[in-house]
Amino acid sequence: MNIKIKTLLTVVAVAAALVTDSAAKNITLLNVSYDPTRELYQELNAAFAQHWKAKSGDTVTIQQSHGGSGKQARAVIDGLSADVVTLALAYDIDAIADKARLFPADWQKRFPNNSAPYTSTIVFLVRKGNPKGVKDWDDLAKPGISVVTPNPKTSGGARWNYLAAWGYALKKHGNDQAKAKDFVAQIYKNVPVLDSGARGSTTTFVQRGIGDVFISWENEAFLAQKELGKGQFEIVVPSVSILAEPPVAIVDKNAKKKGTLEVAQAYLQYLYSDEGQEIIGKHHYRPNAPSAAAKYANAFPKVNLFTIDELFGGWRKAQKEHFDDGGTFDQIYKP
Amino acid sequence: MQNNYRRVAALIALGIISSEPFSGPVQAEQQEELRTKVEQLDQEIKILKRQLELQKEASAEKAKTTPLLTAGAGGFSLQSADTNFVLKLRGYIQADSRFFLDDHSAGTANDTFLLRRVRPIFEGTVFEKFDYRLMLDFGSGVTSSAANDAYVQDAYFNAKLWPALNIQAGKFKEPVGLERLQSGGNLLFVERAYPTQLLPNRDVGVMVHGTLFENTLTYQLGAFNGVADGGSADIESSDDEKDIAARIFAEPFKSSDIEGLQGLGIGIAGTYGNREGAPRAYSTPGQQRFFAFRSGAGTAAAPNVVADGENWRISPQFYYYYGPFGLLGEYAISDQELRRDDGAATFGNIENRAWQVSASYFLTGEKNAFKAVNPRKPFALGGEGWGAWELTARVSGLEVDDAAFPVFASPASSANEALSWTAGFNWHLNRNFKVQVNYEQTDFDGGTSSLLQEGEQVLLTRGQISF
Repeated sequence: MNIKIKTLLTVVAVAAALVTDSAAKNITLLNVSYDPTRELYQELNAAFAQHWKAKSGDTVTIQQSHGGSGKQARAVIDGLSADVVTLALAYDIDAIADKARLFPADWQKRFPNNSAPYTSTIVFLVRKGNPKGVKDWDDLAKPGISVVTPNPKTSGGARWNYLAAWGYALKKHGNDQAKAKDFVAQIYKNVPVLDSGARGSTTTFVQRGIGDVFISWENEAFLAQKELGKGQFEIVVPSVSILAEPPVAIVDKNAKKKGTLEVAQAYLQYLYSDEGQEIIGKHHYRPNAPSAAAKYANAFPKVNLFTIDELFGGWRKAQKEHFDDGGTFDQIYKP
Repeated sequence: MQNNYRRVAALIALGIISSEPFSGPVQAEQQEELRTKVEQLDQEIKILKRQLELQKEASAEKAKTTPLLTAGAGGFSLQSADTNFVLKLRGYIQADSRFFLDDHSAGTANDTFLLRRVRPIFEGTVFEKFDYRLMLDFGSGVTSSAANDAYVQDAYFNAKLWPALNIQAGKFKEPVGLERLQSGGNLLFVERAYPTQLLPNRDVGVMVHGTLFENTLTYQLGAFNGVADGGSADIESSDDEKDIAARIFAEPFKSSDIEGLQGLGIGIAGTYGNREGAPRAYSTPGQQRFFAFRSGAGTAAAPNVVADGENWRISPQFYYYYGPFGLLGEYAISDQELRRDDGAATFGNIENRAWQVSASYFLTGEKNAFKAVNPRKPFALGGEGWGAWELTARVSGLEVDDAAFPVFASPASSANEALSWTAGFNWHLNRNFKVQVNYEQTDFDGGTSSLLQEGEQVLLTRGQISF
């Protein structure tokens, strides 16, 4: 080949590479999340997109997928190409790491607070005036009361609900597992409908008018009270509840394949930023950052919280004993 | 569930009526009790409704991932929920009889029952744009072992880029003969006519094809290994040469308002290439050989003839369907350069010709077509339907070039012309089962064997099941 032609081609190739590299990119991320976080991530995504545009010049669009946490984990294991997962509980993310090997098993060490950018807990939502006089977990086990909670087999929130009730019974009965099992069984006798996710249960209770009490994520209860059915509901805070720590993780293999690893990392890091924590608090999740936590301290009721590690030995153990096939939930729940 | 609703609704109605302000000395306690009952029933209804709603949601969710399995007259089909993967299982079996009339003379083939075609078909689509097809054949004598060995008839994929441009590759029918392009399961007669013997069968290659002008014009253009007249092959074993095959077929009035011309199709097809290797013999409708090139050791006593050089074929063709009437015709010329080896080499060129005209008529009034016809009233024992009855007739001839004799073919054992008349009927009991009966009379010009002298009269029958 003529040397001049070669030189010309080289110049064109280098110029093209430079132009390509310097041009702003359009990036799309998929955040596979649990059921009640729709509103939270809508605002967070818009804020992060602005932040990232200002920082890098790139346009990032974040697609959201929501459903019961267990179902969402299964979808990712089955091939849903998530760049990040933001699920209700660590076990569901562990399941992705274990079964699909899309990221390392020690994923919880990658971000602060065991990769949980916020915490939450479980409270009760009752109808205005609390006509059934629900005050604590014991009231949910009484005959004649109708309790709404989702299915622990598919919903992360439902598993938190279940374990919160179990933990309450353990504390009340001196760690007696049999009594705790009976107590939780009594509550589930009062459950007429099992939705697959927390948002479905909100629909059941708020929009369909079913049930006397809804065992709910704290943030979802606030949402129902303030926005979905303003003035129609009241929040009842039980004497004891569980500290829920919904975690986040980058799905390394998917993100690498799609060339989104850097943005995915920045996106999850943004959840811990002042801006991110502010949005988190605004949506009734309990922020971890001291400034946001202080700002929203009065917005959240004071609850006596226990952790899953304290009473259940961590998520893997709790999952195996209570929610795997043949576990206590299968033993006590007879539809 | 519906009954439950009604029952609960009735109870609520009763409750509502009962909860109206009582005019008499009714106790407030009773009112409260009734109100509680109504509330309970209201909850029960809501719960039942919600459960139904959740069941529907779960079913819809499940449907998104559940493959769809269907079975019917058109075969079996398995389809992924996202429709990206489709597999259809189809097939047909033809159980024939071939009985020669007046076959006392020596050299006539045996009367026989046979499995003419036994063809399972696996076909489908992946990612909507890519079709595939695999058709095997276990019929009698399909392979050289004369056993029911499996033989790959079709194995190809087709990328549907646009209606006007498809790319097909693998083994499939070369786009030339009109009757050859008709599916073996839809044939009007038990055996195809003579033009098919001069034109290629299945070959391995690649082809672009498509439809233009609102499907009124079909074209095919392909490159293939190349096969001998009527031949089919999986691999090029004779030479490095390749054949080009092309066909264009128009149905100009297909979408017009001229009803009498909507079923008219006319086209022309051909092949061009160079060929080496053994040329094929020609057979009667009863599958008896009436012409063969010399085949021997290549000595003066036993000369051998092979194809050696340019080969071209051309085939004008048409069909016409109007109401229950159908007419199909085609003409074929095959021109081949040959070489005779008998210690020395003698070269020559022969040009063989064949033609056919066939007609059919549905006595039961079905609309005739090139493709499968469904009976208006399928046959049912004790029922009203008698299926579809179709009368058929055909005349077909094959002329061997005079230049073939005596250098390339023996004038004693080969005829230079065959003319066949066929009459018959088809009984389509239903979409899946068909009975065919043909009487074939063939006369020859040339040759001294008893077959060629006396001609062939054969009764061919077929029972066919297809799905």
